[in-house]
Amino acid sequence: MTINWLQAALLGFFACLCSNSCMAGQAVGNYTIGRPLVGGLVCGIILGDIKLGIACGVAMQLVYIALVTPGGTVSADVRAISYIGIPLAMVAISSQGLNPLGNTAADLAKSVGTLVGTVGTVLYYAVATMNLVWQSFGWKDVQKGNLDKLPAVNFLWPWVSHAIFSFLPTMLLTYYGATAVKALRNALPMDGIAMKTLFTVGGMLPCVGIAILLRQIVNKPTDFIPFLVGFTLAASLHLNLVSITIVSLLFAVLIYEIEMAKGSNKNPVTATGSSSVNDDDSNDDEEDI
Amino acid sequence: MENTNNNLKKLDQKTLSQSFHRWFWGALTCFSQEHMQTFGYMASMLPILKKLYPNHDDQVNAIHAYTAFFNTNPMLGSVIVGITASMEEARANGKDIDGETINDMRAGLMGPIAGIGDSLIDGTLIPILLGIALGMSSGGSPIGAIFYIIAWVIIAYFGQRFLYFRGYKFGDQAVNFLVGKQGAAVRRAIGIVGSMVVGGVLASWVNVTTSLKLKGADGKIFLNLQDKLNSIYPGILTVIVTLFCWWLMSKKHVSAIWTMVILVVISFLGVLVGFFNPGLSY
Repeated sequence: MTINWLQAALLGFFACLCSNSCMAGQAVGNYTIGRPLVGGLVCGIILGDIKLGIACGVAMQLVYIALVTPGGTVSADVRAISYIGIPLAMVAISSQGLNPLGNTAADLAKSVGTLVGTVGTVLYYAVATMNLVWQSFGWKDVQKGNLDKLPAVNFLWPWVSHAIFSFLPTMLLTYYGATAVKALRNALPMDGIAMKTLFTVGGMLPCVGIAILLRQIVNKPTDFIPFLVGFTLAASLHLNLVSITIVSLLFAVLIYEIEMAKGSNKNPVTATGSSSVNDDDSNDDEEDI
Repeated sequence: MENTNNNLKKLDQKTLSQSFHRWFWGALTCFSQEHMQTFGYMASMLPILKKLYPNHDDQVNAIHAYTAFFNTNPMLGSVIVGITASMEEARANGKDIDGETINDMRAGLMGPIAGIGDSLIDGTLIPILLGIALGMSSGGSPIGAIFYIIAWVIIAYFGQRFLYFRGYKFGDQAVNFLVGKQGAAVRRAIGIVGSMVVGGVLASWVNVTTSLKLKGADGKIFLNLQDKLNSIYPGILTVIVTLFCWWLMSKKHVSAIWTMVILVVISFLGVLVGFFNPGLSY
Protein backbone atom coordinates (compact mmCIF):
# COMPACT_ATOMS: atom_id res chain seq x y z
CA MET A 1 0.00 0.00 0.00
CA THR A 2 1.27 3.45 -0.92
CA ILE A 3 -0.11 6.95 -0.46
CA ASN A 4 -0.08 9.25 -3.49
CA TRP A 5 -0.26 13.04 -3.45
CA LEU A 6 -3.99 13.17 -4.13
CA GLN A 7 -4.73 10.79 -1.26
CA ALA A 8 -2.37 12.71 1.03
CA ALA A 9 -4.11 15.98 0.12
CA LEU A 10 -7.54 14.49 0.84
CA LEU A 11 -6.31 13.32 4.23
CA GLY A 12 -5.01 16.84 4.82
CA PHE A 13 -8.41 18.30 3.99
CA PHE A 14 -10.15 16.03 6.50
CA ALA A 15 -7.53 17.01 9.09
CA CYS A 16 -8.68 20.65 8.71
CA LEU A 17 -12.26 19.61 9.44
CA CYS A 18 -11.65 17.83 12.74
CA SER A 19 -9.45 18.47 15.79
CA ASN A 20 -10.57 20.48 18.79
CA SER A 21 -10.91 23.80 17.07
CA CYS A 22 -12.04 22.76 13.67
CA MET A 23 -13.64 23.99 10.51
CA ALA A 24 -16.61 21.62 10.49
CA GLY A 25 -17.85 22.61 13.94
CA GLN A 26 -17.59 20.73 17.21
CA ALA A 27 -20.41 18.25 16.77
CA VAL A 28 -19.63 17.29 13.18
CA GLY A 29 -15.92 18.03 13.08
CA ASN A 30 -14.41 17.08 16.40
CA TYR A 31 -16.98 14.60 17.67
CA THR A 32 -17.76 12.87 14.36
CA ILE A 33 -15.07 13.26 11.69
CA GLY A 34 -12.34 13.40 14.34
CA ARG A 35 -13.25 10.16 16.15
CA PRO A 36 -10.79 7.42 15.16
CA LEU A 37 -13.62 5.01 14.31
CA VAL A 38 -15.04 7.45 11.76
CA GLY A 39 -11.50 8.41 10.72
CA GLY A 40 -10.87 4.73 10.03
CA LEU A 41 -13.84 4.66 7.66
CA VAL A 42 -12.74 7.85 5.87
CA CYS A 43 -9.10 6.70 5.60
CA GLY A 44 -10.30 3.30 4.44
CA ILE A 45 -12.30 4.90 1.63
CA ILE A 46 -9.46 7.25 0.63
CA LEU A 47 -6.80 4.54 0.66
CA GLY A 48 -9.06 1.91 -0.84
CA ASP A 49 -9.15 -0.64 1.98
CA ILE A 50 -12.19 -0.10 4.17
CA LYS A 51 -11.71 -3.29 6.14
CA LEU A 52 -8.18 -2.36 7.19
CA GLY A 53 -9.23 1.24 7.83
CA ILE A 54 -12.03 0.19 10.17
CA ALA A 55 -9.75 -2.30 11.94
CA CYS A 56 -7.21 0.48 12.63
CA GLY A 57 -10.00 2.89 13.59
CA VAL A 58 -11.44 0.42 16.09
CA ALA A 59 -8.02 -0.18 17.64
CA MET A 60 -7.30 3.51 18.09
CA GLN A 61 -10.81 4.37 19.17
CA LEU A 62 -10.29 2.11 22.16
CA VAL A 63 -7.33 4.17 23.32
CA TYR A 64 -9.23 7.43 22.90
CA ILE A 65 -12.72 6.37 23.88
CA ALA A 66 -12.85 9.05 26.57
CA LEU A 67 -11.11 12.02 25.10
CA VAL A 68 -12.23 14.74 27.48
CA THR A 69 -10.65 18.15 26.98
CA PRO A 70 -11.32 20.12 30.15
CA GLY A 71 -10.62 23.81 29.72
CA GLY A 72 -9.20 23.33 26.25
CA THR A 73 -6.16 21.32 27.33
CA VAL A 74 -5.53 18.30 25.17
CA SER A 75 -3.36 15.26 25.77
CA ALA A 76 -3.81 13.96 22.25
CA ASP A 77 -4.86 15.47 18.95
CA VAL A 78 -7.64 13.73 17.04
CA ARG A 79 -6.56 15.16 13.68
CA ALA A 80 -3.14 13.55 14.09
CA ILE A 81 -4.57 10.26 15.39
CA SER A 82 -7.23 9.88 12.72
CA TYR A 83 -5.66 11.36 9.60
CA ILE A 84 -1.91 10.84 10.16
CA GLY A 85 -1.80 7.90 12.58
CA ILE A 86 -4.40 5.68 10.93
CA PRO A 87 -3.03 6.02 7.34
CA LEU A 88 0.52 5.30 8.55
CA ALA A 89 -0.68 2.35 10.62
CA MET A 90 -2.53 1.02 7.56
CA VAL A 91 0.65 1.22 5.48
CA ALA A 92 2.69 -0.38 8.28
CA ILE A 93 0.24 -3.25 8.72
CA SER A 94 -0.02 -4.02 5.04
CA SER A 95 3.74 -3.77 4.50
CA GLN A 96 4.39 -6.08 7.46
CA GLY A 97 1.97 -8.51 5.88
CA LEU A 98 -0.13 -8.78 9.04
CA ASN A 99 -3.71 -10.01 9.02
CA PRO A 100 -5.68 -6.72 9.16
CA LEU A 101 -8.25 -8.17 11.54
CA GLY A 102 -5.76 -9.81 13.87
CA ASN A 103 -4.67 -8.71 17.32
CA THR A 104 -1.10 -7.96 16.28
CA ALA A 105 -2.30 -5.56 13.59
CA ALA A 106 -4.50 -3.80 16.14
CA ASP A 107 -1.64 -3.53 18.65
CA LEU A 108 0.64 -2.04 16.01
CA ALA A 109 -2.07 0.47 15.08
CA LYS A 110 -2.46 1.53 18.71
CA SER A 111 1.26 2.12 19.16
CA VAL A 112 1.63 4.12 15.94
CA GLY A 113 -1.58 6.08 16.53
CA THR A 114 -0.81 6.97 20.13
CA LEU A 115 2.68 8.14 19.31
CA VAL A 116 1.45 10.31 16.44
CA GLY A 117 -1.52 11.56 18.46
CA THR A 118 0.62 12.64 21.39
CA VAL A 119 3.18 14.42 19.23
CA GLY A 120 0.29 15.90 17.23
CA THR A 121 -0.81 18.10 20.15
CA VAL A 122 1.81 20.50 18.76
CA LEU A 123 -0.56 21.09 15.82
CA TYR A 124 -3.43 21.87 18.17
CA TYR A 125 -1.49 24.57 19.99
CA ALA A 126 -0.06 25.92 16.73
CA VAL A 127 -3.54 26.45 15.23
CA ALA A 128 -4.80 28.02 18.45
CA THR A 129 -1.83 30.38 18.53
CA MET A 130 -2.18 31.42 14.93
CA ASN A 131 -5.89 32.13 15.49
CA LEU A 132 -4.77 34.94 17.78
CA VAL A 133 -3.84 36.86 14.62
CA TRP A 134 -7.39 36.66 13.28
CA GLN A 135 -8.78 37.49 16.70
CA SER A 136 -6.67 40.64 16.84
CA PHE A 137 -8.33 41.63 13.55
CA GLY A 138 -11.63 40.89 15.26
CA TRP A 139 -10.92 43.15 18.22
CA LYS A 140 -10.10 46.01 15.89
CA ASP A 141 -13.34 45.41 14.00
CA VAL A 142 -15.32 45.49 17.25
CA GLN A 143 -13.64 48.73 18.33
CA LYS A 144 -14.24 50.35 14.96
CA GLY A 145 -17.77 49.04 14.77
CA ASN A 146 -17.21 46.93 11.65
CA LEU A 147 -19.48 44.19 12.92
CA ASP A 148 -20.07 42.70 9.48
CA LYS A 149 -16.47 41.52 9.43
CA LEU A 150 -16.87 39.36 12.55
CA PRO A 151 -18.27 36.27 10.78
CA ALA A 152 -15.16 36.20 8.58
CA VAL A 153 -12.97 36.26 11.69
CA ASN A 154 -14.81 33.27 13.09
CA PHE A 155 -15.53 31.23 9.97
CA LEU A 156 -13.10 32.19 7.21
CA TRP A 157 -9.65 33.23 8.46
CA PRO A 158 -9.06 30.15 10.67
CA TRP A 159 -8.91 28.18 7.41
CA VAL A 160 -5.49 29.78 6.92
CA SER A 161 -4.32 28.44 10.30
CA HIS A 162 -5.54 25.01 9.29
CA ALA A 163 -4.00 25.20 5.83
CA ILE A 164 -0.60 25.72 7.45
CA PHE A 165 -0.88 23.55 10.56
CA SER A 166 -3.40 20.86 9.56
CA PHE A 167 -3.35 20.45 5.80
CA LEU A 168 0.38 20.73 5.09
CA PRO A 169 1.69 18.59 7.99
CA THR A 170 -0.88 15.88 7.31
CA MET A 171 -0.21 15.81 3.57
CA LEU A 172 3.58 15.75 3.97
CA LEU A 173 3.67 13.30 6.89
CA THR A 174 1.35 10.79 5.25
CA TYR A 175 3.13 11.03 1.88
CA TYR A 176 6.69 10.75 3.15
CA GLY A 177 5.80 8.83 6.31
CA ALA A 178 4.47 5.94 4.27
CA THR A 179 7.92 5.45 2.77
CA ALA A 180 9.59 5.74 6.17
CA VAL A 181 7.21 3.22 7.74
CA LYS A 182 8.11 0.72 5.04
CA ALA A 183 11.83 1.29 5.65
CA LEU A 184 11.21 0.56 9.33
CA ARG A 185 10.16 -2.96 8.42
CA ASN A 186 13.72 -3.84 7.50
CA ALA A 187 15.29 -1.87 10.34
CA LEU A 188 13.34 -3.53 13.15
CA PRO A 189 12.85 -7.29 12.97
CA MET A 190 9.48 -8.51 14.22
CA ASP A 191 10.94 -10.97 16.72
CA GLY A 192 13.28 -8.37 18.20
CA ILE A 193 12.75 -6.92 21.62
CA ALA A 194 11.82 -3.45 20.30
CA MET A 195 8.90 -4.72 18.26
CA LYS A 196 7.78 -7.07 21.02
CA THR A 197 7.69 -4.13 23.43
CA LEU A 198 5.88 -1.98 20.89
CA PHE A 199 3.17 -4.56 20.40
CA THR A 200 2.83 -5.29 24.12
CA VAL A 201 2.41 -1.58 24.85
CA GLY A 202 -0.13 -1.34 22.04
CA GLY A 203 -2.20 -3.99 23.73
CA MET A 204 -2.18 -2.08 27.02
CA LEU A 205 -2.74 1.48 25.78
CA PRO A 206 -6.56 1.28 25.80
CA CYS A 207 -6.28 0.71 29.57
CA VAL A 208 -5.02 4.30 29.84
CA GLY A 209 -8.01 5.58 27.85
CA ILE A 210 -10.44 3.63 30.02
CA ALA A 211 -8.61 4.78 33.15
CA ILE A 212 -9.01 8.42 32.09
CA LEU A 213 -12.73 7.77 31.83
CA LEU A 214 -12.77 6.03 35.22
CA ARG A 215 -11.12 9.07 36.74
CA GLN A 216 -14.18 11.00 35.57
CA ILE A 217 -16.82 8.65 36.88
CA VAL A 218 -15.29 7.14 40.00
CA ASN A 219 -15.60 9.31 43.10
CA LYS A 220 -15.77 6.61 45.71
CA PRO A 221 -14.75 2.92 45.76
CA THR A 222 -18.28 1.62 45.17
CA ASP A 223 -18.37 3.46 41.84
CA PHE A 224 -16.11 0.70 40.53
CA ILE A 225 -18.90 -1.85 40.92
CA PRO A 226 -21.02 -1.00 37.84
CA PHE A 227 -17.82 -0.86 35.80
CA LEU A 228 -16.76 -4.31 37.03
CA VAL A 229 -20.27 -5.68 36.49
CA GLY A 230 -20.10 -4.49 32.88
CA PHE A 231 -16.66 -6.08 32.53
CA THR A 232 -17.90 -9.36 33.99
CA LEU A 233 -20.96 -9.47 31.72
CA ALA A 234 -18.63 -9.30 28.72
CA ALA A 235 -15.61 -11.27 29.96
CA SER A 236 -17.36 -14.09 31.79
CA LEU A 237 -20.86 -14.18 30.29
CA HIS A 238 -19.76 -13.08 26.80
CA LEU A 239 -22.63 -10.65 26.28
CA ASN A 240 -22.20 -8.14 23.47
CA LEU A 241 -22.31 -4.39 24.04
CA VAL A 242 -25.89 -3.80 23.00
CA SER A 243 -26.99 -6.47 25.48
CA ILE A 244 -24.88 -4.91 28.22
CA THR A 245 -26.43 -1.52 27.48
CA ILE A 246 -29.90 -2.97 27.87
CA VAL A 247 -29.02 -4.65 31.17
CA SER A 248 -27.52 -1.38 32.38
CA LEU A 249 -30.73 0.50 31.55
CA LEU A 250 -32.49 -1.52 34.22
CA PHE A 251 -30.02 -0.30 36.82
CA ALA A 252 -30.30 3.24 35.45
CA VAL A 253 -34.06 3.25 35.97
CA LEU A 254 -33.64 1.92 39.52
CA ILE A 255 -31.00 4.55 40.37
CA TYR A 256 -33.19 7.30 38.97
CA GLU A 257 -36.19 6.23 41.04
CA ILE A 258 -34.08 5.91 44.19
CA GLU A 259 -32.45 9.31 43.68
CA MET A 260 -35.79 10.97 43.10
CA ALA A 261 -37.35 9.30 46.14
CA LYS A 262 -34.38 10.02 48.38
CA GLY A 263 -34.75 13.79 48.67
CA SER A 264 -38.54 13.94 48.64
CA ASN A 265 -38.79 13.05 52.34
CA LYS A 266 -36.15 15.53 53.44
CA ASN A 267 -36.88 18.62 51.40
CA PRO A 268 -40.07 18.60 49.38
CA VAL A 269 -39.18 21.84 47.59
CA THR A 270 -37.12 20.73 44.64
CA ALA A 271 -37.24 23.60 42.20
CA THR A 272 -34.35 25.93 42.86
CA GLY A 273 -33.51 29.22 41.25
CA SER A 274 -30.38 29.65 39.22
CA SER A 275 -28.85 31.67 42.03
CA SER A 276 -28.41 28.48 44.06
CA VAL A 277 -27.00 26.47 41.19
CA ASN A 278 -23.67 25.82 42.86
CA ASP A 279 -25.14 25.05 46.27
CA ASP A 280 -27.55 22.65 44.70
CA ASP A 281 -24.80 20.79 42.90
CA SER A 282 -22.66 20.36 45.98
CA ASN A 283 -25.67 19.19 47.97
CA ASP A 284 -26.14 16.38 45.53
CA ASP A 285 -22.61 15.22 46.11
CA GLU A 286 -23.12 15.20 49.84
CA GLU A 287 -26.26 13.16 49.55
CA ASP A 288 -24.34 10.49 47.78
CA ILE A 289 -22.01 9.82 50.68
CA MET B 1 -32.52 52.35 25.08
CA GLU B 2 -35.90 53.96 25.21
CA ASN B 3 -38.10 51.42 23.59
CA THR B 4 -40.98 51.43 25.98
CA ASN B 5 -43.59 52.03 23.31
CA ASN B 6 -46.33 49.57 22.44
CA ASN B 7 -44.66 47.52 19.73
CA LEU B 8 -42.45 45.17 21.73
CA LYS B 9 -39.48 43.76 19.90
CA LYS B 10 -39.70 40.04 19.37
CA LEU B 11 -37.10 37.75 17.90
CA ASP B 12 -38.49 35.64 15.09
CA GLN B 13 -37.78 31.98 14.48
CA LYS B 14 -35.50 32.70 11.53
CA THR B 15 -33.15 34.94 13.48
CA LEU B 16 -32.96 32.52 16.40
CA SER B 17 -32.34 29.67 14.02
CA GLN B 18 -29.51 31.56 12.35
CA SER B 19 -27.96 32.33 15.71
CA PHE B 20 -28.24 28.70 16.76
CA HIS B 21 -26.65 27.42 13.56
CA ARG B 22 -23.74 29.79 13.97
CA TRP B 23 -23.14 28.41 17.46
CA PHE B 24 -23.59 24.79 16.35
CA TRP B 25 -21.04 25.22 13.61
CA GLY B 26 -18.81 27.97 14.88
CA ALA B 27 -18.49 27.68 18.65
CA LEU B 28 -14.83 26.75 18.33
CA THR B 29 -13.80 27.52 14.76
CA CYS B 30 -11.68 30.52 15.79
CA PHE B 31 -10.29 29.04 18.99
CA SER B 32 -7.29 30.39 20.85
CA GLN B 33 -6.04 29.60 24.32
CA GLU B 34 -6.57 33.24 25.26
CA HIS B 35 -10.15 33.86 24.14
CA MET B 36 -11.44 30.34 23.52
CA GLN B 37 -15.11 30.56 22.44
CA THR B 38 -15.48 34.34 22.64
CA PHE B 39 -15.53 34.88 18.89
CA GLY B 40 -17.88 31.99 18.28
CA TYR B 41 -20.22 33.56 20.81
CA MET B 42 -20.04 37.00 19.20
CA ALA B 43 -20.65 35.56 15.74
CA SER B 44 -23.76 33.76 16.94
CA MET B 45 -25.14 36.81 18.80
CA LEU B 46 -24.65 39.08 15.81
CA PRO B 47 -27.89 38.18 13.94
CA ILE B 48 -29.84 38.76 17.16
CA LEU B 49 -28.28 42.15 17.85
CA LYS B 50 -28.90 43.22 14.27
CA LYS B 51 -32.53 42.24 14.53
CA LEU B 52 -33.10 43.94 17.87
CA TYR B 53 -31.19 47.16 17.29
CA PRO B 54 -31.75 48.80 13.91
CA ASN B 55 -29.33 51.57 14.90
CA HIS B 56 -25.69 50.64 14.14
CA ASP B 57 -24.31 52.36 17.23
CA ASP B 58 -26.63 50.38 19.48
CA GLN B 59 -25.41 47.18 17.86
CA VAL B 60 -21.79 48.11 18.55
CA ASN B 61 -22.72 49.06 22.08
CA ALA B 62 -24.49 45.79 22.68
CA ILE B 63 -21.76 43.51 21.32
CA HIS B 64 -19.31 44.78 23.92
CA ALA B 65 -21.11 42.63 26.49
CA TYR B 66 -19.94 39.57 24.56
CA THR B 67 -16.27 40.48 24.30
CA ALA B 68 -15.67 38.97 27.74
CA PHE B 69 -13.90 35.60 27.91
CA PHE B 70 -16.18 32.66 27.35
CA ASN B 71 -15.58 28.92 27.41
CA THR B 72 -17.85 26.03 28.24
CA ASN B 73 -18.92 22.65 26.93
CA PRO B 74 -20.14 23.64 23.44
CA MET B 75 -22.89 21.01 23.41
CA LEU B 76 -24.70 21.98 26.61
CA GLY B 77 -23.43 25.56 26.27
CA SER B 78 -26.06 26.02 23.58
CA VAL B 79 -28.53 26.64 26.40
CA ILE B 80 -26.51 29.65 27.58
CA VAL B 81 -26.60 31.25 24.12
CA GLY B 82 -30.37 30.74 24.09
CA ILE B 83 -30.67 32.40 27.50
CA THR B 84 -28.66 35.43 26.37
CA ALA B 85 -30.90 35.72 23.31
CA SER B 86 -33.92 36.10 25.58
CA MET B 87 -32.07 38.48 27.93
CA GLU B 88 -30.97 40.60 24.99
CA GLU B 89 -34.55 40.74 23.79
CA ALA B 90 -35.65 41.94 27.23
CA ARG B 91 -32.86 44.53 27.25
CA ALA B 92 -33.94 45.84 23.85
CA ASN B 93 -37.46 46.20 25.22
CA GLY B 94 -36.23 48.47 27.97
CA LYS B 95 -36.20 45.96 30.83
CA ASP B 96 -33.75 46.56 33.64
CA ILE B 97 -30.95 44.47 32.17
CA ASP B 98 -27.53 45.71 31.15
CA GLY B 99 -24.42 44.13 29.69
CA GLU B 100 -23.15 43.37 33.17
CA THR B 101 -26.26 41.37 34.09
CA ILE B 102 -25.85 39.33 30.93
CA ASN B 103 -22.17 38.76 31.59
CA ASP B 104 -22.73 37.73 35.20
CA MET B 105 -25.20 35.12 34.03
CA ARG B 106 -22.79 33.83 31.37
CA ALA B 107 -19.83 33.76 33.74
CA GLY B 108 -21.91 32.05 36.42
CA LEU B 109 -23.22 29.33 34.17
CA MET B 110 -20.23 28.50 31.98
CA GLY B 111 -18.34 26.70 34.77
CA PRO B 112 -21.11 24.36 35.99
CA ILE B 113 -22.31 23.71 32.41
CA ALA B 114 -18.75 22.85 31.35
CA GLY B 115 -18.38 20.40 34.23
CA ILE B 116 -21.73 18.70 33.63
CA GLY B 117 -21.26 18.70 29.85
CA ASP B 118 -17.77 17.23 29.90
CA SER B 119 -18.77 14.36 32.15
CA LEU B 120 -22.20 13.79 30.57
CA ILE B 121 -21.36 14.20 26.86
CA ASP B 122 -17.64 13.47 26.49
CA GLY B 123 -17.38 11.14 29.45
CA THR B 124 -20.63 9.18 29.19
CA LEU B 125 -22.81 9.62 26.11
CA ILE B 126 -20.03 9.45 23.51
CA PRO B 127 -18.32 6.42 25.11
CA ILE B 128 -21.71 4.63 25.18
CA LEU B 129 -22.37 5.37 21.50
CA LEU B 130 -18.82 4.48 20.54
CA GLY B 131 -18.96 1.32 22.63
CA ILE B 132 -22.05 0.14 20.76
CA ALA B 133 -20.50 1.22 17.44
CA LEU B 134 -17.31 -0.73 18.20
CA GLY B 135 -19.42 -3.78 18.82
CA MET B 136 -20.88 -3.45 15.32
CA SER B 137 -17.46 -3.07 13.71
CA SER B 138 -16.19 -6.61 14.10
CA GLY B 139 -14.60 -8.06 11.00
CA GLY B 140 -13.85 -4.58 9.65
CA SER B 141 -17.50 -3.78 9.02
CA PRO B 142 -18.27 -0.07 8.38
CA ILE B 143 -21.74 -0.40 9.95
CA GLY B 144 -20.51 0.66 13.40
CA ALA B 145 -18.94 3.87 12.09
CA ILE B 146 -22.06 4.67 10.05
CA PHE B 147 -24.28 4.00 13.08
CA TYR B 148 -22.17 6.36 15.19
CA ILE B 149 -22.22 9.13 12.57
CA ILE B 150 -26.00 9.02 12.20
CA ALA B 151 -26.84 8.54 15.89
CA TRP B 152 -24.46 11.17 17.20
CA VAL B 153 -25.17 13.87 14.60
CA ILE B 154 -28.92 13.52 15.15
CA ILE B 155 -28.52 13.67 18.94
CA ALA B 156 -26.05 16.56 18.76
CA TYR B 157 -28.04 18.68 16.31
CA PHE B 158 -31.51 18.25 17.75
CA GLY B 159 -30.23 18.13 21.33
CA GLN B 160 -28.41 21.43 20.97
CA ARG B 161 -31.34 22.94 19.10
CA PHE B 162 -33.68 21.86 21.88
CA LEU B 163 -31.37 23.34 24.50
CA TYR B 164 -31.00 26.62 22.62
CA PHE B 165 -34.72 27.17 22.28
CA ARG B 166 -35.37 26.00 25.81
CA GLY B 167 -32.85 28.60 26.97
CA TYR B 168 -34.60 31.26 24.92
CA LYS B 169 -38.05 30.29 26.19
CA PHE B 170 -37.35 29.86 29.89
CA GLY B 171 -34.37 32.16 30.44
CA ASP B 172 -32.11 31.15 33.32
CA GLN B 173 -34.82 28.83 34.66
CA ALA B 174 -33.92 26.57 31.73
CA VAL B 175 -30.83 25.17 33.43
CA ASN B 176 -32.75 23.86 36.44
CA PHE B 177 -33.42 20.57 34.74
CA LEU B 178 -29.68 20.21 34.20
CA VAL B 179 -28.33 21.26 37.56
CA GLY B 180 -31.34 20.63 39.79
CA LYS B 181 -32.38 17.50 41.65
CA GLN B 182 -33.92 15.79 38.66
CA GLY B 183 -30.88 16.62 36.57
CA ALA B 184 -28.60 15.09 39.18
CA ALA B 185 -30.74 11.93 39.29
CA VAL B 186 -30.67 11.63 35.50
CA ARG B 187 -26.91 12.15 35.46
CA ARG B 188 -26.34 9.44 38.06
CA ALA B 189 -28.59 7.06 36.14
CA ILE B 190 -26.79 7.73 32.84
CA GLY B 191 -23.51 7.39 34.70
CA ILE B 192 -24.41 3.80 35.59
CA VAL B 193 -25.06 3.00 31.94
CA GLY B 194 -21.76 4.62 31.02
CA SER B 195 -19.77 2.69 33.63
CA MET B 196 -21.24 -0.67 32.63
CA VAL B 197 -20.78 -0.08 28.91
CA VAL B 198 -17.19 1.01 29.44
CA GLY B 199 -16.55 -2.12 31.50
CA GLY B 200 -18.00 -4.11 28.62
CA VAL B 201 -15.85 -2.27 26.08
CA LEU B 202 -12.74 -3.05 28.10
CA ALA B 203 -13.57 -6.75 28.37
CA SER B 204 -14.62 -7.10 24.72
CA TRP B 205 -11.73 -5.32 23.07
CA VAL B 206 -8.76 -5.26 25.39
CA ASN B 207 -6.99 -8.39 26.44
CA VAL B 208 -3.79 -8.17 28.44
CA THR B 209 -2.36 -11.65 28.77
CA THR B 210 0.81 -13.20 30.09
CA SER B 211 2.84 -15.78 28.25
CA LEU B 212 4.53 -17.02 31.40
CA LYS B 213 4.75 -20.77 31.48
CA LEU B 214 6.91 -22.70 33.90
CA LYS B 215 8.35 -25.96 32.65
CA GLY B 216 9.53 -28.84 34.75
CA ALA B 217 12.76 -30.79 34.21
CA ASP B 218 10.98 -33.12 31.80
CA GLY B 219 9.98 -30.19 29.58
CA LYS B 220 6.32 -30.43 30.53
CA ILE B 221 4.49 -27.26 31.49
CA PHE B 222 3.43 -27.42 35.09
CA LEU B 223 2.24 -23.83 35.38
CA ASN B 224 0.42 -21.93 32.67
CA LEU B 225 -0.18 -18.65 34.47
CA GLN B 226 -2.77 -17.29 32.03
CA ASP B 227 -4.95 -20.39 32.39
CA LYS B 228 -4.69 -20.19 36.17
CA LEU B 229 -5.66 -16.51 36.13
CA ASN B 230 -8.59 -17.19 33.82
CA SER B 231 -9.93 -19.76 36.24
CA ILE B 232 -9.90 -17.14 38.99
CA TYR B 233 -11.50 -14.26 37.07
CA PRO B 234 -11.46 -14.00 33.28
CA GLY B 235 -9.63 -10.89 32.13
CA ILE B 236 -8.08 -10.20 35.53
CA LEU B 237 -4.82 -8.84 34.09
CA THR B 238 -6.72 -6.34 31.93
CA VAL B 239 -8.56 -5.08 35.01
CA ILE B 240 -5.33 -4.89 37.02
CA VAL B 241 -3.52 -2.84 34.35
CA THR B 242 -6.52 -0.50 34.01
CA LEU B 243 -6.85 0.01 37.75
CA PHE B 244 -3.10 0.56 37.95
CA CYS B 245 -3.37 3.34 35.32
CA TRP B 246 -6.33 4.82 37.18
CA TRP B 247 -4.38 4.73 40.44
CA LEU B 248 -1.36 6.43 38.83
CA MET B 249 -3.46 9.19 37.31
CA SER B 250 -5.98 9.91 40.03
CA LYS B 251 -4.04 9.07 43.20
CA LYS B 252 -0.47 9.87 42.13
CA HIS B 253 -1.44 12.66 39.69
CA VAL B 254 0.69 11.24 36.91
CA SER B 255 -0.26 12.67 33.49
CA ALA B 256 -1.71 10.44 30.79
CA ILE B 257 1.45 10.71 28.72
CA TRP B 258 3.72 9.66 31.61
CA THR B 259 1.35 6.83 32.41
CA MET B 260 1.89 5.61 28.85
CA VAL B 261 5.66 5.92 29.30
CA ILE B 262 5.42 3.82 32.47
CA LEU B 263 3.51 1.18 30.48
CA VAL B 264 6.35 1.18 27.93
CA VAL B 265 8.85 0.48 30.72
CA ILE B 266 6.67 -2.27 32.19
CA SER B 267 6.20 -3.84 28.75
CA PHE B 268 9.92 -3.71 28.05
CA LEU B 269 10.79 -5.39 31.36
CA GLY B 270 7.93 -7.86 30.89
CA VAL B 271 9.19 -8.83 27.45
CA LEU B 272 12.74 -9.22 28.81
CA VAL B 273 11.74 -11.69 31.51
CA GLY B 274 9.25 -13.48 29.27
CA PHE B 275 6.12 -12.36 31.10
CA PHE B 276 4.79 -10.74 27.93
CA ASN B 277 5.15 -12.11 24.44
CA PRO B 278 2.86 -10.85 21.72
CA GLY B 279 3.73 -13.92 19.62
CA LEU B 280 4.94 -12.07 16.56
CA SER B 281 6.04 -13.76 13.40
CA TYR B 282 6.13 -13.01 9.73
